[in-house]
Amino acid sequence: MIFAAPWLLLALLALPALWWLLRVTPPSPRTQLFPAIRLLEGLRAAERTSSRTPPWLLLLRMLAAGLVVIGLAGPVLNAAGRLPGTGPVLLVIDDGWAAAPAWAVRMEAASRVLDQAAREARPVRLLTTAPSEAGQAPTLGPAAPSPELRARLAALRPKPWLPDLEAAAGALRGVSAGAVVHIADGVAAPSDGGFQRALAAAGPVQRRSPDPLQARTLRTPRSESERLVARVETLPQPVDTPVAVLAQTGDGRTLARAEAIIAAGTTSAEIPISLPQELRNQLARLALDGPPSAAGTWLLDERWRRRPVGLLAPEDGADTPLIGPLYYVRRALAATAELRDGTLETLLTRPLSVLVMVDGTLDGTAAAQVGKWVEEGGLLLRFAGPRLAAATGEGGADKLLPVRLLAGDRQLGGALSWSKPAALAPFTAASPFTGLAVPAEVLVQRQVLAEPGATLAARSWATLEDGTPLVTAAPLGAGRVVLVHVTANADWSNLPLSGLFVDMLRRVVELSAGVAGAAPDALLAPAELLDGFGVIGRPPPAAVGLEATELATPIVTPMHPPGLYGPESGRRALNLGAALPPLAAAAPAPGATLLPLGDDAQERSLGPALLAAAIALLAIDLLLSLWLRGLLRPAAAALLLFALPVYAAEPSPALETRLAYVVTGDATVDGVSRAGLQGLSAYVNRRTAAALGEPMAVTPGQDDLAFYPLLYWPVLASAEPDGRATGALNAYIRAGGIILVDTRGSGSGDGFAPGAEAALRRVSAGLDVPPLAPLNGDHVLARSFYLLQDFPGRFAGGPIWVQRDQDRSNDSVSPVIIGGHDWAAAWATDAQGRNPYATVPGGARQRVLAYRFGVNLVMYALTGNYKGDQVHVPAILERLGQ
Amino acid sequence: MRASPQAGVQTARRAEGLGARLPPLLVAAQRVAATVAQGVHGRRRVGQGDSFWQYRPFVPGDARSRIDSRASAKTDRAYVRETEWEAAQTVYLWRDASPSMDWRSGAAVPWKRERADLLVLALASLLLRGGERVRLLGGPPRLRGGGTALEALAQALAEMPDSGGLPPDAPLPRFARVVIVGDLLSPLPAIREAVARLAATPVQGHLLQVLDPAEALLPYAGRVRFQGTEAERDQLVQRVEGIRTGYADALAAQLHGLNALATAAGWGFSTHRTDHAPEAALLGLYVALSEARR
Repeated sequence: MIFAAPWLLLALLALPALWWLLRVTPPSPRTQLFPAIRLLEGLRAAERTSSRTPPWLLLLRMLAAGLVVIGLAGPVLNAAGRLPGTGPVLLVIDDGWAAAPAWAVRMEAASRVLDQAAREARPVRLLTTAPSEAGQAPTLGPAAPSPELRARLAALRPKPWLPDLEAAAGALRGVSAGAVVHIADGVAAPSDGGFQRALAAAGPVQRRSPDPLQARTLRTPRSESERLVARVETLPQPVDTPVAVLAQTGDGRTLARAEAIIAAGTTSAEIPISLPQELRNQLARLALDGPPSAAGTWLLDERWRRRPVGLLAPEDGADTPLIGPLYYVRRALAATAELRDGTLETLLTRPLSVLVMVDGTLDGTAAAQVGKWVEEGGLLLRFAGPRLAAATGEGGADKLLPVRLLAGDRQLGGALSWSKPAALAPFTAASPFTGLAVPAEVLVQRQVLAEPGATLAARSWATLEDGTPLVTAAPLGAGRVVLVHVTANADWSNLPLSGLFVDMLRRVVELSAGVAGAAPDALLAPAELLDGFGVIGRPPPAAVGLEATELATPIVTPMHPPGLYGPESGRRALNLGAALPPLAAAAPAPGATLLPLGDDAQERSLGPALLAAAIALLAIDLLLSLWLRGLLRPAAAALLLFALPVYAAEPSPALETRLAYVVTGDATVDGVSRAGLQGLSAYVNRRTAAALGEPMAVTPGQDDLAFYPLLYWPVLASAEPDGRATGALNAYIRAGGIILVDTRGSGSGDGFAPGAEAALRRVSAGLDVPPLAPLNGDHVLARSFYLLQDFPGRFAGGPIWVQRDQDRSNDSVSPVIIGGHDWAAAWATDAQGRNPYATVPGGARQRVLAYRFGVNLVMYALTGNYKGDQVHVPAILERLGQ
Repeated sequence: MRASPQAGVQTARRAEGLGARLPPLLVAAQRVAATVAQGVHGRRRVGQGDSFWQYRPFVPGDARSRIDSRASAKTDRAYVRETEWEAAQTVYLWRDASPSMDWRSGAAVPWKRERADLLVLALASLLLRGGERVRLLGGPPRLRGGGTALEALAQALAEMPDSGGLPPDAPLPRFARVVIVGDLLSPLPAIREAVARLAATPVQGHLLQVLDPAEALLPYAGRVRFQGTEAERDQLVQRVEGIRTGYADALAAQLHGLNALATAAGWGFSTHRTDHAPEAALLGLYVALSEARR
């Protein structure tokens, strides 16, 4: 413990004098009006006891005075000690990309440094190492007292780009400070060494960095058939570290979560995410589970989704049903890929992932065109056929084949042959088809044969039982050539008739590189950019357009922050992870003191508490003095005592109409429920004639539910049935109450409220739930105040269930309304009136609709079927008119 | 008496205020008086009057005309018929109007003036019922008309001026009765002088001392600065517990002195504490008044 103003403790020396003064000063007498005063004249008491302050009162006052003195001297518990040296303090904060994960802790550490400097009355100069959003290189701030820097500190945000240490070192040139505190991210950046030397030259360096270092980044993922492999890179970790990646859609839903472990001492891990192609096409980003950061966010643009497939038709009639060579291919791929038709020239004018070519050869310019396209990353899928077989027979070497083919073809099981049609062998683990079941009825009667060679086995993706290859593939430049050794129709085999054909084609297409829409030399305007925390927002002012060619070797700067660039139809992603150099730990400045970032205990100033205690003691002293003087009336004393601590009395539920929510025991969920019902009550009070009071938290079975028109019940996955609660809720329903049951996860995908629906089935087992039907626009609930068609909360989409049959005994009001849209989170407002929870998929419209549903719900609960009957008013009026 | 129009308005206004306050007091006084009247029947005195009192044997010296022939004819002795004494007498009432009467030690007890008013009016009510004439000492010679005599008396009582805690020197008819109600905390010589002056008229009378229980007991404790109600000097008492005995002695001396001077003048003396029932004091006062006439 230290004192901020130790010289004030000298005032303790004055306490004995105060003691003496207090002792000799008698307490002030009480004044009493007395008619018989004449009789008192001349009466003198033998003793004069009470003329001196009683010793216990004296002690009390001395204690209060001592507390005041010590409190003003500013004792600080767990103080971080003194900063080294004297003179101005140089506070250097790394605010590059690697600072985002522990940003709050960093800011707390920086704030603590400001506290220390303020205690020692030393000015502080602030230097941040990353360029600002406006693109300005780091500059050293002027020396300023700590309080003025707090606002600057509060405005600091981590930047989604690399720090500019060269400029930072330049800013430090010629600067000398009493102490240098470097709140470091600990990740090496270009010209780190020069910067650290500049730090050391400025003064004694204290380096505070998180322990262990937390920098993580996602690297370019790999697209494999049936799965996407995310790659995570970290600094070397001392122990096995689990990492998890969330695969998310554009509207924020999490479709999958995959985990892996980075082994101790290694720096990277690959995390496969298996998703069906349909779902994979919805992915918009990968995000590391954990503290959000730009480096931990990988945006997936169109290249990861669009796989245009060009179908090269050799002749007319290629699509003839059942016998045309493209007929089966088209039907196999139509559901998952974008198919294009045309001649070779037309097809190659636009970006293409896969080119499917059935039986035939390529010659001259066409071969050159296709070869160039494949080398740039295309995937050529060829099928064999009589023409290919004939062409090989001439000994021509078709460059665009994965293997050399033997002349002619091989026929199995013909009328003049002893052999039988051959079945397929199971796929090997190296094949992209691995895992697909091989049906026994797939038989090959005729095929082209590959020339045996050393690489043939490696290039075979599928073989027949006798080992002859059925599908071969070979890389060519950045692309790949795949040959299926049979025809694409049922002439040579019945493979195209089987389901296996569909799966195989899809996997081949998934292997291809995706394309993005824009032309390669287009200038892409910044559209939606990431901030340092990986949150998508509007482009900062310094962001400028990006040439598409620059995306091949991405560089992230304030001019080109990570994010999505280009027009709406063809967004291209610039990812921070692709632009980062390999991660390495930065060496500290020579001679630096190394300190952990947030390890030391929270600094606590005891001054205010001591002063409060002194004030309380003085208040007690006031009461005692009044009592000694006889001026203390019981009512006044009670008033004084209650005026000191003001407790908000729990509102009586019966005095006002109010909503209620069921307490779940999870503080977060209960807080959301409370904030949600507060927000809804405020909205209802603003928009309607209903006047709702503060919402109440109730526990069914303990609290009386009879006062509440509506009960909001968020069901947790951990909820267990409780007989008393169920009984109370049944009684509530029978008495005409309405329960809004919310499983809080419907439409959110994975990860938000798993297991809540199972929990709902569990806890509602004993509940008198009537037969239910989905809520539609004809229900009274959709018309009780606003006319609504859908009823979103934080999430939208899933069905809402209400009572199916109208029950006249209960005023045709559904006793339970079951949904999972997390309405409370959509309704919730914080103290500033903002909505703390984003709506998914989002937008102000969804929030408004959520509130409108809430208003309808309250009206439904308050008016019953009155609004339902209102629809008959025109008919009744018409009848009255007749 | 001619009053200026303005003074008339003021009086009327004051009377209005009094009228609002008086009825409860009058009702209380009537109630107290009724309680006492049931306990005291008639005058039980021989005197001029219409109602029969008693027959007594004729004694020599009685006028012959007083022999009641009907009663005497029944026996061989002569009887004289006596009627009950019904002579109306003027009773002068006085209540201390000094500031020391406007005091009470707590909300549980009534103001001293309030209690004194109640006693005076109740006594007046009793006396008026008995046919006596009631006047206020130092008040208007004739009570204003309008309303009953009691109401007029109550109004006059409320308007009574402060005469320094002692009865004023007013001309009284001889053999009138005087009832002095007050806290009688003035110095004994001053009281003695006032009583002697009245007794010299000569009139007979009664002193009733109304005291607050706090005045009787001095229940305070600790360091207290006492302030008087009539511009006396403040008294700072360091420890009230220490002087309580001394105060009790001083009060007893005052009572003793009062009793002595009343006895010397042939007057009666009694005390009343405001936390006691007013009926007891009234009964005592009334009986004392009756007995003093003998």
